[in-house]
Amino acid sequence: MTQRTNKLHSTNRLLVFASASLAGLFVAGVLVPRHAALAASNPTSTTTAAASRPDPGEAVLMDALGAELKRAMASLGSDGAAAQQPKPYFLSYAVDDASSASISAQYGAIANSREDHVRSVDVEVRLGSPAEDNTHGDHRISALTTMPLPLTGDRDSIARSLWFATNRGYARALDGYLKVKTEQQVRAKEEDASADFSAEQPQTDVLPPAPPLAVDRAAWERRLREISSLFTQYPDIIADQVEFTASNETDYFVSSEGARVSNPSQVARLVLVARTRAADGMDMFRAETFEADSPAHLPDQKTIADKANAMAKNLEALRVAPITEPFNGPAILSGRASAVFFHEVLGHRLEGQRQRGDEEGQTFTKLLGKPILPSFLSVADDPTLATFQGTSLSGHYDFDDEGQAARRVDLIKNGVLQTFLMSRLPIASVSQSNGHGRSEAGHMPTGRQGNLIVTSSKTVPESELRAMLIAEAKKQGKAYGLYFEDISSGFAVTTRRSPQAFQVIPLVVYRVYVDGRPDELVRGVSIVGTPQAALNRIVATGDKQDIFNGICGAESGSIPVSAVAPAMLVSEIETQRQAQGTARPPILPPPNATPGEPVSKKGAN
Amino acid sequence: MHMLLTELQIKRASFVFLAAMALSVTTSVSYAAPPQASAQTSAKDDPVLRAMQAELDREQAQLLLPGMQRPYFIEYRLDDVASYEAIANYGALVREESSHQRVVRVTVRIGSYATDSSSSRGEGTITLASVDDSPEAIRYSLWSATDDAYKNALRAYSAKQAALKRFEAPPTEKDFAAAKPVVQIGPIVALDLDRAEWTRHIVDASGLYTSDPQVSFFAADVQYSTASLRAQAVNRYLVNTEGTVVRQGYAGYSANISVGGQAADGMQLSRDNGTVAATAKELEAWPAFRQRVIDNLKSFEALRHAPVVSAEDYHGPVLFSGDAVADVMDRLFIPNVEADRPEMGTTARTQGIYTSSFHARVLPEFLNATDDPLTTTFAGHTLLGAYTVDDEGVPAQAVNAAVNGKLENYLIGRTPVRDLPESNGHGRAALGQAARSRSGVMIFKSNAPVSAAELNARLLSMAKEQGRDVYSVETLGGDLAPRVLYLIHPDGSRELVRGAVFDELDNRSLRSDIVAAGDDEYVSNSLGAVPTTTIAPSLLFDDIGVKRATEEQQKLPYYSPPAPANK
Repeated sequence: MTQRTNKLHSTNRLLVFASASLAGLFVAGVLVPRHAALAASNPTSTTTAAASRPDPGEAVLMDALGAELKRAMASLGSDGAAAQQPKPYFLSYAVDDASSASISAQYGAIANSREDHVRSVDVEVRLGSPAEDNTHGDHRISALTTMPLPLTGDRDSIARSLWFATNRGYARALDGYLKVKTEQQVRAKEEDASADFSAEQPQTDVLPPAPPLAVDRAAWERRLREISSLFTQYPDIIADQVEFTASNETDYFVSSEGARVSNPSQVARLVLVARTRAADGMDMFRAETFEADSPAHLPDQKTIADKANAMAKNLEALRVAPITEPFNGPAILSGRASAVFFHEVLGHRLEGQRQRGDEEGQTFTKLLGKPILPSFLSVADDPTLATFQGTSLSGHYDFDDEGQAARRVDLIKNGVLQTFLMSRLPIASVSQSNGHGRSEAGHMPTGRQGNLIVTSSKTVPESELRAMLIAEAKKQGKAYGLYFEDISSGFAVTTRRSPQAFQVIPLVVYRVYVDGRPDELVRGVSIVGTPQAALNRIVATGDKQDIFNGICGAESGSIPVSAVAPAMLVSEIETQRQAQGTARPPILPPPNATPGEPVSKKGAN
Repeated sequence: MHMLLTELQIKRASFVFLAAMALSVTTSVSYAAPPQASAQTSAKDDPVLRAMQAELDREQAQLLLPGMQRPYFIEYRLDDVASYEAIANYGALVREESSHQRVVRVTVRIGSYATDSSSSRGEGTITLASVDDSPEAIRYSLWSATDDAYKNALRAYSAKQAALKRFEAPPTEKDFAAAKPVVQIGPIVALDLDRAEWTRHIVDASGLYTSDPQVSFFAADVQYSTASLRAQAVNRYLVNTEGTVVRQGYAGYSANISVGGQAADGMQLSRDNGTVAATAKELEAWPAFRQRVIDNLKSFEALRHAPVVSAEDYHGPVLFSGDAVADVMDRLFIPNVEADRPEMGTTARTQGIYTSSFHARVLPEFLNATDDPLTTTFAGHTLLGAYTVDDEGVPAQAVNAAVNGKLENYLIGRTPVRDLPESNGHGRAALGQAARSRSGVMIFKSNAPVSAAELNARLLSMAKEQGRDVYSVETLGGDLAPRVLYLIHPDGSRELVRGAVFDELDNRSLRSDIVAAGDDEYVSNSLGAVPTTTIAPSLLFDDIGVKRATEEQQKLPYYSPPAPANK
């Protein structure tokens, strides 16, 4: 059976993953934004609620959250059946309220078109003490209970739902806490004996909610049909998917520490994916994402159509491109490729929770204050940036999913590791959050990236970078260097059981010959090696930074992220041939290439 | 509320409105060679069927991997599913969702009817198709899925040939039963539901626990109160290389209520039920549905205060209501007369308990079981399980599964088993899934029905004869555990009890313990993956075990629910 067959019962959203083979910890343009980025062009969004009045539904919700939280804290461990039980030392309610529209097209026609409004609450209950609570070790999830909430401002119903979820959550937390205490008695001393929850200042900043979602679906359906049908003009494109999503979301957070925060966000995203298969069975795809704060700010149809045609032509060229040979030599990663590379190879390994825990590989744990990159490179994660050089950044937010204010974090300064991406889960070297506790609804927040920004003090124009690549290849006695124009993420393996390797999937790679021959497109390249090695071989960067917006999936769910980086020259990169499929290309040509039955005009009906 | 109708759907909806006028007219089934359009609508007028047929013709003529076999059979099925769902908790809407999707399933068979590439997992490739009636896009989806299915079938065929070599004797049954081509173009079905009205109803229903004075005095004991509405309209298009062309649709609607909580000792108690119908108009009207909710709440409260069933085992008479019998038969009888082919390498006839029960007695002599998908209504109910052509393009037939208690026939699709070389029109498929043998409208009927009063009298006389209390069960939960169970005293008075499970309620009890059947046929429509109907009378069993459930009780809520603020 094909992968497609296995995935069928779900919606076609998953099919994009399936058909494009995107899995694991990935960055890729995609789908349903859950915690989406705030309107870049909406400067008022950073003003406080005092300036604009929240709508009545929101006021009811915030009141009910506050009142029920207070009542639960006063009752649990004091009243009734819980009188003999521990009182929670922390309780929070995190509400996600998201309205979205999503449309997908394939083969020039609409496959799915829908609107949705969901509102749910994540109840987090902590028992014990911050030093050791029910979330310790593998029991993080014992703090979390998720429940749908009324879509309307019905106070009684909201309160009753919160009660039900809190009661259930408290029972789970009790169970988790008992297990933690038992396990701690029998296990050996932990390598990292940090507390389970950091002490933080509660934030109180209720921003106005995101405006109602307004999408002209009929118009977007017409646009998607048109874009998708472009791919059917190319007989070797065997599948395409054009996905449009727009989402307006407001997250609310209240806690027993006094936090009271709301965080609106808006995003519109268009993703194109197309796929071809070479005669030898190698599958290849290209994906392109466009992102803006609202559908109206997405690029015009011509820009997107041009990109679709370019993708299709590129795939046709790739399909017949020669297969790569194993290579060990110099390469340039384009800005976009570098951005993905840094997100996967560096960013994930700087997430705080990966520095503790028995299963984590802890690549950088002991390297705080030490150089891990060449000294001309610095890396920050700055979720407070809504745009970069005029482009919306996906990874922007005002408050993280633990109610902490977003802030810029300098992770690496002049090559030296400064800190990690921290949620409220402390580690030996960092005891506090730095506003990077992020999660999708229904997941426990962990330290995650927002907008990862790589800057360089050793920049050269890209033409010069190319000259340096050729010089380096010559010096190493190679006939060519490689130019990675586009890479997609594979999966970053950070656990101890697997080798400390990363996999990013190069999509578009050229050989740049030293003898002046034109660049040659090759296919089937995969990068191998260990992360530190690759990072330390960066010798210079370009002078223009490029942006990658996407959705990143990990243990705390799928969240929008951005990565910004300049092109990089790497003195040595090791590549090998990709593992590939063996299925032949389609036996018959696509139906529109067949004489006989006339095919309709696209977008008829 | 979102209006999710696209322009296309609106057009179709108005067309369907006209078509629905003619819905009561039986659609005609014609055997065709060559296919001819005898129905009012011809396949040529339907852009979906036209696209499917065009791609099928092309693939049949041209699909061949050099040096390999051509398919001997290709089938395209397109399931067009429109659905709507709304859920309310505690008197407020928490979810409202509508969707429209099309899934195509392509089956390619290599080899011959005698031995082919099929396996018990069901063959085929599934993919999404456009909801636009774009012939090109639909053909693209079919093209891509056919290519995959053909390659998979080639692999499966050689693997199967190799596997068969392990066995001394070749299989005695064919892999696939031939079927005469059928052309039937039924009317297109659409969702027909006043969403705003029903959304209001389920919101109100889920809030009755606190808003209606008949029940609100125990609102604090109701831990959850959820009402939901589900509506689905499925249009199924089928073409195959034998010449079959079928378009048929069905709709199903259900409104459900679920209330629950705990007794003082912690026992989890709930009432969950609803109304299921083939048209929204046949759903219970609001007053009746509202009453259902109130009754459920009262029943939940009564259960909370009911005594726990005796700790000592009971073996003796139990009267099952028609509702309870339908659940028992759905679990114990029907799956076992659906002839599923066993795994390769066994000589068994079918999977399940009745594999060697052909012509043997499986029910009491006075009981008959007939599956008749052609029965469209019963006692004023439209039956959800009814259909005229099955999902493999075979006309539905009434099948006498049990006659005078003896198993005389199995329900079967186009995958033959021993003694059943041909389909009897029971190959039915869940959305996007392969067809399997499934029942449609299973009717249990006694040769000697007795009135409800008589059945009760018999139960009581058994109680008197045996000088003890007996049981009567009204509804069951999902695992055949009693939900509403009464202890019946010999004087005829009854007492609700909780916390019981049945012991030894199995196929042997169906064969040997049923002593009488009522004349009160209960219609159970089920809107599952494959819609089915079971019609069953109440049954008196003379020897069923009743014992106390042994699960530990959960803790009661750790704190009290919030007091209503704005009531």
